[in-house]
Amino acid sequence: MRPIVSLEDVSLRYHSISGETPAVSHLNLTVQSGEFISIVGPSGCGKSTILSMLAGLLPPSEGHIEVNGNIGYMLQKDYLLHWRSIRSNALLGLEIQKKLTPETVAYVDALLEQYGLGDFKESYPYQLSGGMRQRVALIRTLAIRPDILLLDEPFSALDYQTRLSVSDEIGTIIRKEGKTAILVTHDISEAISLSDRVVVLSKRPAKLKKIFPIRFSMAEHTPMQAREAPEFKDYFNTIWKELDVHVS
Amino acid sequence: MFHKNDLKAVSKEQAAFLSRIQKRKTAVLALQIFLLVSFFLLWEIAARQRWIDPFLFSQPTRMLASAMDMMQDGTLFLHIGTTLWETVAGFLLGTVLGTLTAVLLWWNRFISDVAEPYLVVLNSLPKTALAPIIIVWFGNNQSSIIIVALLTSVIVTILSVLNGFLQVDEERIKLIQIFGGTKWQVLTKVVFPANIPCILNALKINVGLSFVGVIVGEFLVAQNGLGFLIIYGGQVFKLDWVMMSVIILSILAAVMYQTIALLEKRFTKW
Repeated sequence: MRPIVSLEDVSLRYHSISGETPAVSHLNLTVQSGEFISIVGPSGCGKSTILSMLAGLLPPSEGHIEVNGNIGYMLQKDYLLHWRSIRSNALLGLEIQKKLTPETVAYVDALLEQYGLGDFKESYPYQLSGGMRQRVALIRTLAIRPDILLLDEPFSALDYQTRLSVSDEIGTIIRKEGKTAILVTHDISEAISLSDRVVVLSKRPAKLKKIFPIRFSMAEHTPMQAREAPEFKDYFNTIWKELDVHVS
Repeated sequence: MFHKNDLKAVSKEQAAFLSRIQKRKTAVLALQIFLLVSFFLLWEIAARQRWIDPFLFSQPTRMLASAMDMMQDGTLFLHIGTTLWETVAGFLLGTVLGTLTAVLLWWNRFISDVAEPYLVVLNSLPKTALAPIIIVWFGNNQSSIIIVALLTSVIVTILSVLNGFLQVDEERIKLIQIFGGTKWQVLTKVVFPANIPCILNALKINVGLSFVGVIVGEFLVAQNGLGFLIIYGGQVFKLDWVMMSVIILSILAAVMYQTIALLEKRFTKW
Protein backbone atom coordinates (compact mmCIF):
# COMPACT_ATOMS: atom_id res chain seq x y z
CA MET A 1 0.00 0.00 0.00
CA ARG A 2 1.23 3.47 -0.86
CA PRO A 3 2.06 5.35 2.34
CA ILE A 4 0.04 8.51 3.02
CA VAL A 5 3.14 10.33 4.24
CA SER A 6 6.75 9.62 3.43
CA LEU A 7 9.99 11.39 4.25
CA GLU A 8 13.08 10.32 2.33
CA ASP A 9 16.47 11.36 3.59
CA VAL A 10 15.12 14.71 4.76
CA SER A 11 17.45 17.29 6.29
CA LEU A 12 16.79 20.85 7.38
CA ARG A 13 19.11 23.61 8.45
CA TYR A 14 18.06 26.93 9.97
CA HIS A 15 19.93 30.04 8.96
CA SER A 16 20.48 33.07 11.13
CA ILE A 17 23.09 35.82 11.30
CA SER A 18 24.95 33.98 14.04
CA GLY A 19 25.23 30.85 11.91
CA GLU A 20 23.69 27.71 10.54
CA THR A 21 21.87 25.26 12.81
CA PRO A 22 21.12 21.73 11.62
CA ALA A 23 17.65 20.86 12.96
CA VAL A 24 16.83 17.60 11.17
CA SER A 25 19.35 15.19 9.69
CA HIS A 26 18.71 12.47 7.08
CA LEU A 27 15.32 11.43 8.35
CA ASN A 28 13.40 8.54 6.79
CA LEU A 29 9.83 7.78 7.83
CA THR A 30 6.66 6.42 6.24
CA VAL A 31 3.17 6.57 7.67
CA GLN A 32 0.28 4.40 6.50
CA SER A 33 -3.25 5.68 6.14
CA GLY A 34 -5.21 5.47 9.41
CA GLU A 35 -2.10 5.13 11.55
CA PHE A 36 -1.47 7.12 14.71
CA ILE A 37 2.24 7.93 15.02
CA SER A 38 3.95 9.72 17.88
CA ILE A 39 7.29 11.40 17.59
CA VAL A 40 9.16 11.76 20.87
CA GLY A 41 12.55 13.24 21.49
CA PRO A 42 14.46 15.55 23.81
CA SER A 43 13.06 19.07 23.93
CA GLY A 44 14.36 21.35 21.20
CA CYS A 45 15.43 18.42 19.03
CA GLY A 46 13.52 19.58 15.96
CA LYS A 47 10.26 17.64 16.37
CA SER A 48 8.08 20.62 15.52
CA THR A 49 10.28 21.41 12.54
CA ILE A 50 9.28 18.05 11.03
CA LEU A 51 5.60 18.98 11.27
CA SER A 52 6.25 22.40 9.73
CA MET A 53 7.92 20.67 6.80
CA LEU A 54 5.04 18.20 6.39
CA ALA A 55 2.60 21.11 6.41
CA GLY A 56 4.58 22.78 3.64
CA LEU A 57 5.48 25.81 5.77
CA LEU A 58 9.21 25.03 5.58
CA PRO A 59 10.90 23.56 2.52
CA PRO A 60 13.50 20.91 3.48
CA SER A 61 17.13 21.74 2.75
CA GLU A 62 17.63 18.26 1.30
CA GLY A 63 15.57 15.17 0.67
CA HIS A 64 12.05 14.51 -0.47
CA ILE A 65 8.69 14.75 1.28
CA GLU A 66 5.53 13.21 -0.09
CA VAL A 67 2.11 13.87 1.42
CA ASN A 68 -0.90 12.24 -0.21
CA GLY A 69 -3.84 14.00 1.37
CA ASN A 70 -5.13 17.11 3.05
CA ILE A 71 -3.27 18.30 6.10
CA GLY A 72 -4.85 19.54 9.30
CA TYR A 73 -2.48 21.07 11.83
CA MET A 74 -3.10 21.53 15.54
CA LEU A 75 -0.80 23.92 17.34
CA GLN A 76 0.52 23.86 20.91
CA LYS A 77 -2.14 26.23 22.14
CA ASP A 78 -5.69 26.61 20.89
CA TYR A 79 -5.04 30.12 19.48
CA LEU A 80 -8.76 30.80 19.30
CA LEU A 81 -9.37 34.34 18.11
CA HIS A 82 -10.88 36.12 21.10
CA TRP A 83 -13.03 38.48 19.03
CA ARG A 84 -14.82 35.62 17.29
CA SER A 85 -17.54 33.42 18.70
CA ILE A 86 -16.83 29.70 19.15
CA ARG A 87 -18.77 28.83 16.00
CA SER A 88 -17.00 31.50 14.00
CA ASN A 89 -13.64 30.25 15.32
CA ALA A 90 -14.50 26.71 14.28
CA LEU A 91 -15.34 27.99 10.78
CA LEU A 92 -12.05 29.88 10.39
CA GLY A 93 -10.27 27.24 8.31
CA LEU A 94 -13.19 26.82 5.92
CA GLU A 95 -13.44 30.59 5.63
CA ILE A 96 -9.76 30.90 4.71
CA GLN A 97 -10.00 28.12 2.16
CA LYS A 98 -13.20 29.70 0.79
CA LYS A 99 -15.13 26.48 1.41
CA LEU A 100 -18.03 27.95 3.38
CA THR A 101 -21.06 26.15 1.98
CA PRO A 102 -24.29 25.09 3.71
CA GLU A 103 -22.90 21.52 3.83
CA THR A 104 -19.55 22.39 5.41
CA VAL A 105 -21.21 24.73 7.93
CA ALA A 106 -23.69 22.01 8.85
CA TYR A 107 -20.76 19.62 9.33
CA VAL A 108 -19.08 22.03 11.75
CA ASP A 109 -22.35 22.54 13.62
CA ALA A 110 -22.73 18.77 13.87
CA LEU A 111 -19.17 18.39 15.19
CA LEU A 112 -19.79 21.12 17.78
CA GLU A 113 -22.99 19.39 18.89
CA GLN A 114 -21.39 15.97 18.91
CA TYR A 115 -18.45 17.03 21.04
CA GLY A 116 -20.43 18.87 23.67
CA LEU A 117 -20.07 22.45 22.45
CA GLY A 118 -23.57 22.86 21.04
CA ASP A 119 -24.60 25.24 23.81
CA PHE A 120 -21.48 27.35 23.46
CA LYS A 121 -21.63 28.17 19.75
CA GLU A 122 -22.31 31.82 20.36
CA SER A 123 -20.02 32.09 23.40
CA TYR A 124 -16.61 33.69 23.26
CA PRO A 125 -13.35 31.82 23.92
CA TYR A 126 -12.76 33.46 27.33
CA GLN A 127 -15.97 31.86 28.58
CA LEU A 128 -14.67 28.31 27.96
CA SER A 129 -12.34 26.08 29.95
CA GLY A 130 -8.93 25.10 28.57
CA GLY A 131 -10.13 21.63 27.63
CA MET A 132 -13.17 22.95 25.79
CA ARG A 133 -11.06 25.47 23.92
CA GLN A 134 -8.72 22.71 22.79
CA ARG A 135 -11.76 20.78 21.53
CA VAL A 136 -12.83 23.83 19.52
CA ALA A 137 -9.33 23.95 18.05
CA LEU A 138 -9.66 20.29 17.05
CA ILE A 139 -13.05 20.93 15.41
CA ARG A 140 -11.56 23.91 13.57
CA THR A 141 -8.94 21.48 12.23
CA LEU A 142 -11.44 18.69 11.44
CA ALA A 143 -13.75 21.15 9.68
CA ILE A 144 -11.60 21.17 6.56
CA ARG A 145 -11.86 17.34 6.47
CA PRO A 146 -8.14 16.63 6.61
CA ASP A 147 -6.83 13.15 5.85
CA ILE A 148 -3.76 13.69 8.01
CA LEU A 149 -3.67 15.44 11.36
CA LEU A 150 -0.45 16.99 12.57
CA LEU A 151 -0.52 17.52 16.34
CA ASP A 152 2.23 19.69 17.79
CA GLU A 153 2.14 19.02 21.54
CA PRO A 154 -1.50 20.04 21.50
CA PHE A 155 -2.00 19.31 25.20
CA SER A 156 1.12 20.89 26.62
CA ALA A 157 -0.57 24.14 27.62
CA LEU A 158 -3.11 22.33 29.80
CA ASP A 159 -2.78 21.40 33.46
CA TYR A 160 -2.15 17.72 34.21
CA GLN A 161 -5.72 16.67 35.03
CA THR A 162 -7.20 18.40 32.00
CA ARG A 163 -4.38 17.12 29.87
CA LEU A 164 -5.17 13.49 30.68
CA SER A 165 -8.84 13.81 29.89
CA VAL A 166 -8.38 16.01 26.80
CA SER A 167 -5.77 13.71 25.28
CA ASP A 168 -8.09 10.78 25.93
CA GLU A 169 -11.00 12.65 24.38
CA ILE A 170 -9.12 13.91 21.36
CA GLY A 171 -7.40 10.58 20.78
CA THR A 172 -10.79 8.89 20.76
CA ILE A 173 -12.25 11.50 18.39
CA ILE A 174 -9.37 11.08 15.94
CA ARG A 175 -9.76 7.27 15.95
CA LYS A 176 -13.50 7.59 15.47
CA GLU A 177 -13.11 9.93 12.51
CA GLY A 178 -10.58 7.47 11.02
CA LYS A 179 -7.83 10.04 10.52
CA THR A 180 -4.13 9.51 10.14
CA ALA A 181 -2.33 11.36 12.91
CA ILE A 182 1.23 12.42 13.62
CA LEU A 183 1.68 13.62 17.18
CA VAL A 184 4.75 15.41 18.43
CA THR A 185 5.19 15.22 22.19
CA HIS A 186 7.78 14.93 24.94
CA ASP A 187 5.37 13.01 27.14
CA ILE A 188 6.20 9.30 26.75
CA SER A 189 3.00 8.08 28.45
CA GLU A 190 0.91 10.21 26.15
CA ALA A 191 2.72 8.82 23.11
CA ILE A 192 2.27 5.20 24.18
CA SER A 193 -1.37 5.57 25.15
CA LEU A 194 -2.37 7.18 21.85
CA SER A 195 -0.22 5.59 19.16
CA ASP A 196 0.28 2.63 16.90
CA ARG A 197 3.96 3.42 16.62
CA VAL A 198 6.29 5.62 18.64
CA VAL A 199 9.22 7.20 16.81
CA VAL A 200 12.18 8.13 19.01
CA LEU A 201 14.46 10.90 17.79
CA SER A 202 17.96 11.82 18.92
CA LYS A 203 19.11 15.16 20.27
CA ARG A 204 19.40 18.02 17.80
CA PRO A 205 19.93 17.61 14.91
CA ALA A 206 17.05 15.15 14.97
CA LYS A 207 17.97 11.71 13.64
CA LEU A 208 15.77 8.65 13.78
CA LYS A 209 16.85 6.44 16.67
CA LYS A 210 14.23 3.74 16.80
CA ILE A 211 10.60 3.01 16.02
CA PHE A 212 8.51 1.09 18.56
CA PRO A 213 5.28 -0.57 17.41
CA ILE A 214 2.75 -0.46 20.27
CA ARG A 215 0.42 -3.45 20.76
CA PHE A 216 -1.80 -4.01 23.76
CA SER A 217 -3.34 -7.33 24.73
CA MET A 218 -6.83 -5.85 25.03
CA ALA A 219 -8.62 -5.47 21.72
CA GLU A 220 -10.63 -2.26 22.07
CA HIS A 221 -9.31 0.43 24.34
CA THR A 222 -9.37 4.16 24.81
CA PRO A 223 -6.09 6.01 25.39
CA MET A 224 -6.98 6.21 29.09
CA GLN A 225 -7.52 2.44 29.34
CA ALA A 226 -4.23 1.84 27.54
CA ARG A 227 -2.48 3.41 30.50
CA GLU A 228 -3.83 0.54 32.62
CA ALA A 229 -2.52 -2.18 30.26
CA PRO A 230 0.17 -4.49 31.67
CA GLU A 231 2.46 -3.79 28.70
CA PHE A 232 2.32 -0.05 29.27
CA LYS A 233 5.09 0.07 31.86
CA ASP A 234 7.45 -2.02 29.74
CA TYR A 235 6.95 0.22 26.74
CA PHE A 236 7.55 3.21 28.96
CA ASN A 237 10.82 1.86 30.34
CA THR A 238 12.16 0.81 26.94
CA ILE A 239 11.37 4.16 25.35
CA TRP A 240 12.71 6.02 28.35
CA LYS A 241 16.02 4.16 28.02
CA GLU A 242 16.11 4.79 24.30
CA LEU A 243 15.53 8.51 24.83
CA ASP A 244 18.62 8.46 27.01
CA VAL A 245 17.88 11.63 28.90
CA HIS A 246 20.83 12.65 31.00
CA VAL A 247 20.20 15.03 33.81
CA SER A 248 23.56 16.03 35.08
CA MET B 1 -38.45 39.29 42.44
CA PHE B 2 -35.17 37.85 41.28
CA HIS B 3 -33.53 40.97 42.56
CA LYS B 4 -35.01 40.53 46.02
CA ASN B 5 -33.59 37.04 46.25
CA ASP B 6 -30.22 38.32 45.20
CA LEU B 7 -30.27 40.87 47.96
CA LYS B 8 -31.19 38.27 50.51
CA ALA B 9 -28.40 36.00 49.36
CA VAL B 10 -25.78 38.68 50.07
CA SER B 11 -24.09 38.19 53.44
CA LYS B 12 -23.75 40.96 55.96
CA GLU B 13 -20.06 41.23 55.36
CA GLN B 14 -20.54 41.45 51.58
CA ALA B 15 -23.25 44.09 52.04
CA ALA B 16 -20.94 46.15 54.20
CA PHE B 17 -18.19 45.79 51.61
CA LEU B 18 -20.51 46.90 48.79
CA SER B 19 -21.78 49.89 50.75
CA ARG B 20 -18.21 50.94 51.55
CA ILE B 21 -17.37 50.92 47.83
CA GLN B 22 -20.55 52.83 47.01
CA LYS B 23 -19.82 55.43 49.69
CA ARG B 24 -16.34 55.99 48.36
CA LYS B 25 -17.69 56.43 44.83
CA THR B 26 -20.21 59.00 46.03
CA ALA B 27 -17.54 60.85 48.01
CA VAL B 28 -15.26 61.09 44.96
CA LEU B 29 -18.04 62.41 42.74
CA ALA B 30 -19.25 64.86 45.39
CA LEU B 31 -15.79 66.29 45.87
CA GLN B 32 -15.27 66.57 42.11
CA ILE B 33 -18.48 68.57 41.73
CA PHE B 34 -17.67 70.65 44.81
CA LEU B 35 -14.24 71.60 43.43
CA LEU B 36 -15.72 72.63 40.08
CA VAL B 37 -18.50 74.72 41.61
CA SER B 38 -16.27 76.41 44.16
CA PHE B 39 -13.70 77.23 41.48
CA PHE B 40 -16.25 79.18 39.47
CA LEU B 41 -17.87 80.62 42.58
CA LEU B 42 -14.54 81.84 43.94
CA TRP B 43 -13.69 83.29 40.54
CA GLU B 44 -17.00 85.18 40.48
CA ILE B 45 -16.60 86.47 44.04
CA ALA B 46 -12.98 87.46 43.49
CA ALA B 47 -13.98 89.47 40.43
CA ARG B 48 -16.93 91.17 42.18
CA GLN B 49 -14.84 92.03 45.22
CA ARG B 50 -12.16 93.41 42.85
CA TRP B 51 -9.55 91.03 44.28
CA ILE B 52 -8.78 90.40 40.60
CA ASP B 53 -9.39 92.71 37.67
CA PRO B 54 -12.32 91.28 35.65
CA PHE B 55 -11.04 93.11 32.59
CA LEU B 56 -7.96 90.88 32.60
CA PHE B 57 -9.35 87.76 34.27
CA SER B 58 -12.97 87.89 33.09
CA GLN B 59 -15.60 86.29 35.34
CA PRO B 60 -18.15 83.49 34.98
CA THR B 61 -21.22 85.72 34.67
CA ARG B 62 -19.54 87.89 32.02
CA MET B 63 -18.53 84.79 30.08
CA LEU B 64 -22.07 83.50 30.29
CA ALA B 65 -23.41 86.86 29.11
CA SER B 66 -21.14 86.96 26.08
CA ALA B 67 -22.01 83.33 25.33
CA MET B 68 -25.70 84.34 25.40
CA ASP B 69 -25.07 87.29 23.08
CA MET B 70 -23.20 85.11 20.64
CA MET B 71 -25.85 82.45 20.77
CA GLN B 72 -28.49 85.00 19.91
CA ASP B 73 -26.71 86.18 16.78
CA GLY B 74 -25.66 82.60 16.02
CA THR B 75 -21.92 83.32 15.82
CA LEU B 76 -21.12 81.00 18.75
CA PHE B 77 -22.49 78.00 16.88
CA LEU B 78 -20.51 78.99 13.80
CA HIS B 79 -17.28 79.12 15.83
CA ILE B 80 -17.96 75.84 17.64
CA GLY B 81 -19.11 74.12 14.44
CA THR B 82 -16.01 75.24 12.54
CA THR B 83 -13.59 74.04 15.19
CA LEU B 84 -15.48 70.79 15.69
CA TRP B 85 -15.58 70.00 11.98
CA GLU B 86 -11.87 70.74 11.53
CA THR B 87 -10.95 68.64 14.55
CA VAL B 88 -13.09 65.64 13.60
CA ALA B 89 -11.85 65.77 10.00
CA GLY B 90 -8.27 66.07 11.29
CA PHE B 91 -8.29 63.14 13.67
CA LEU B 92 -10.32 60.86 11.42
CA LEU B 93 -8.01 61.56 8.47
CA GLY B 94 -4.96 61.22 10.71
CA THR B 95 -6.12 57.89 12.09
CA VAL B 96 -7.20 56.47 8.72
CA LEU B 97 -4.07 57.59 6.86
CA GLY B 98 -1.87 56.51 9.76
CA THR B 99 -3.47 53.07 9.88
CA LEU B 100 -3.22 52.64 6.09
CA THR B 101 0.45 53.60 6.19
CA ALA B 102 1.00 51.15 9.05
CA VAL B 103 -0.60 48.42 6.90
CA LEU B 104 1.77 49.27 4.05
CA LEU B 105 4.80 49.20 6.33
CA TRP B 106 3.69 45.90 7.88
CA TRP B 107 3.20 44.45 4.42
CA ASN B 108 6.62 45.45 3.17
CA ARG B 109 9.25 45.19 5.86
CA PHE B 110 11.90 46.58 3.52
CA ILE B 111 10.06 49.89 3.14
CA SER B 112 9.45 49.91 6.88
CA ASP B 113 13.15 49.45 7.66
CA VAL B 114 14.00 52.27 5.25
CA ALA B 115 11.34 54.57 6.71
CA GLU B 116 12.15 53.91 10.37
CA PRO B 117 14.68 56.70 11.12
CA TYR B 118 12.55 59.26 9.30
CA LEU B 119 9.47 58.28 11.26
CA VAL B 120 11.35 58.49 14.55
CA VAL B 121 12.61 62.00 13.77
CA LEU B 122 9.24 63.19 12.45
CA ASN B 123 7.60 61.81 15.58
CA SER B 124 9.72 63.94 17.89
CA LEU B 125 9.31 67.06 15.75
CA PRO B 126 6.58 69.42 17.03
CA LYS B 127 4.19 69.24 14.11
CA THR B 128 2.76 72.70 14.76
CA ALA B 129 6.14 74.07 13.65
CA LEU B 130 5.08 73.03 10.16
CA ALA B 131 1.85 75.05 10.30
CA PRO B 132 3.24 78.22 8.63
CA ILE B 133 4.73 76.11 5.80
CA ILE B 134 1.44 74.29 5.26
CA ILE B 135 -0.40 77.60 5.10
CA VAL B 136 2.02 78.95 2.51
CA TRP B 137 1.66 75.81 0.42
CA PHE B 138 -2.05 75.11 0.72
CA GLY B 139 -3.36 78.65 1.14
CA ASN B 140 -5.11 80.77 3.64
CA ASN B 141 -8.08 78.46 4.14
CA GLN B 142 -9.74 75.71 6.12
CA SER B 143 -8.04 72.81 4.35
CA SER B 144 -4.68 74.07 5.64
CA ILE B 145 -6.02 73.90 9.20
CA ILE B 146 -7.26 70.33 8.65
CA ILE B 147 -3.89 69.35 7.20
CA VAL B 148 -2.10 70.74 10.26
CA ALA B 149 -4.47 68.77 12.50
CA LEU B 150 -3.87 65.64 10.45
CA LEU B 151 -0.11 66.08 10.68
CA THR B 152 -0.19 66.25 14.46
CA SER B 153 -1.72 62.78 14.70
CA VAL B 154 -0.63 60.82 11.65
CA ILE B 155 2.96 59.95 12.61
CA VAL B 156 2.19 58.77 16.12
CA THR B 157 -0.66 56.69 14.70
CA ILE B 158 1.66 55.02 12.18
CA LEU B 159 4.16 54.14 14.90
CA SER B 160 1.71 52.85 17.48
CA VAL B 161 -0.45 50.87 15.03
CA LEU B 162 2.60 49.37 13.29
CA ASN B 163 3.94 48.38 16.68
CA GLY B 164 0.61 46.69 17.46
CA PHE B 165 0.69 44.87 14.11
CA LEU B 166 4.20 43.59 14.74
CA GLN B 167 3.33 42.35 18.20
CA VAL B 168 0.73 39.88 16.95
CA ASP B 169 1.79 36.39 18.05
CA GLU B 170 3.71 34.53 15.31
CA GLU B 171 1.74 31.39 16.12
CA ARG B 172 -1.54 33.12 15.31
CA ILE B 173 -0.12 34.02 11.93
CA LYS B 174 0.97 30.40 11.52
CA LEU B 175 -2.62 29.40 12.27
CA ILE B 176 -3.74 31.22 9.11
CA GLN B 177 -0.83 29.83 7.10
CA ILE B 178 -1.53 26.20 8.01
CA PHE B 179 -4.95 26.58 6.40
CA GLY B 180 -3.16 27.84 3.31
CA GLY B 181 -4.09 31.47 4.00
CA THR B 182 -2.58 34.35 2.04
CA LYS B 183 -0.84 37.41 3.47
CA TRP B 184 -4.02 39.40 2.83
CA GLN B 185 -5.93 36.87 4.95
CA VAL B 186 -3.30 37.07 7.69
CA LEU B 187 -3.99 40.81 7.71
CA THR B 188 -7.77 40.71 7.57
CA LYS B 189 -8.42 37.68 9.77
CA VAL B 190 -5.82 38.17 12.49
CA VAL B 191 -3.53 41.19 12.42
CA PHE B 192 -6.16 43.87 11.81
CA PRO B 193 -8.95 42.59 14.08
CA ALA B 194 -6.43 41.91 16.85
CA ASN B 195 -5.45 45.58 16.68
CA ILE B 196 -8.86 47.23 16.69
CA PRO B 197 -8.40 48.16 20.38
CA CYS B 198 -5.00 49.62 19.47
CA ILE B 199 -6.53 51.70 16.65
CA LEU B 200 -9.35 52.93 18.88
CA ASN B 201 -6.76 53.91 21.46
CA ALA B 202 -4.88 55.85 18.80
CA LEU B 203 -8.15 57.56 17.92
CA LYS B 204 -8.54 58.60 21.55
CA ILE B 205 -5.07 60.12 21.70
CA ASN B 206 -5.59 61.77 18.32
CA VAL B 207 -8.59 63.77 19.58
CA GLY B 208 -6.30 65.78 21.84
CA LEU B 209 -3.55 66.12 19.25
CA SER B 210 -5.97 67.19 16.55
CA PHE B 211 -7.34 69.96 18.78
CA VAL B 212 -3.81 71.29 19.19
CA GLY B 213 -3.33 71.35 15.42
CA VAL B 214 -6.69 73.02 14.79
CA ILE B 215 -6.23 75.74 17.40
CA VAL B 216 -2.73 76.58 16.15
CA GLY B 217 -4.02 76.59 12.57
CA GLU B 218 -6.87 78.89 13.54
CA PHE B 219 -4.47 81.21 15.35
CA LEU B 220 -2.68 81.65 12.04
CA VAL B 221 -5.33 81.84 9.34
CA ALA B 222 -8.93 81.48 10.44
CA GLN B 223 -11.81 83.95 10.16
CA ASN B 224 -13.88 81.89 12.56
CA GLY B 225 -13.54 78.98 14.99
CA LEU B 226 -12.71 78.92 18.70
CA GLY B 227 -9.00 79.37 17.99
CA PHE B 228 -9.79 82.49 16.02
CA LEU B 229 -12.02 83.72 18.84
CA ILE B 230 -9.22 83.18 21.36
CA ILE B 231 -6.56 84.99 19.34
CA TYR B 232 -8.91 87.78 18.26
CA GLY B 233 -10.30 88.17 21.80
CA GLY B 234 -6.73 88.47 23.07
CA GLN B 235 -5.90 91.15 20.52
CA VAL B 236 -8.94 93.32 21.31
CA PHE B 237 -8.74 92.63 25.06
CA LYS B 238 -12.07 90.79 25.17
CA LEU B 239 -10.89 88.29 27.77
CA ASP B 240 -14.50 87.14 28.22
CA TRP B 241 -14.34 85.61 24.74
CA VAL B 242 -10.98 84.04 25.38
CA MET B 243 -11.94 82.41 28.68
CA MET B 244 -15.33 81.31 27.34
CA SER B 245 -13.69 79.68 24.30
CA VAL B 246 -11.19 77.82 26.44
CA ILE B 247 -13.96 76.45 28.62
CA ILE B 248 -16.04 75.43 25.58
CA LEU B 249 -12.94 73.74 24.16
CA SER B 250 -12.44 71.67 27.27
CA ILE B 251 -16.08 70.59 27.20
CA LEU B 252 -15.79 69.60 23.53
CA ALA B 253 -12.61 67.62 24.16
CA ALA B 254 -14.20 65.79 27.09
CA VAL B 255 -17.32 64.91 25.09
CA MET B 256 -15.30 63.59 22.16
CA TYR B 257 -13.02 61.55 24.37
CA GLN B 258 -16.01 60.00 26.11
CA THR B 259 -17.67 59.21 22.77
CA ILE B 260 -14.63 57.24 21.64
CA ALA B 261 -14.32 55.56 25.03
CA LEU B 262 -17.92 54.39 24.58
CA LEU B 263 -17.11 53.19 21.07
CA GLU B 264 -14.16 51.29 22.50
CA LYS B 265 -16.36 49.54 25.06
CA ARG B 266 -18.81 48.59 22.36
CA PHE B 267 -16.10 47.08 20.15
CA THR B 268 -14.29 45.15 22.85
CA LYS B 269 -17.12 43.10 24.32
CA TRP B 270 -15.00 39.95 24.40
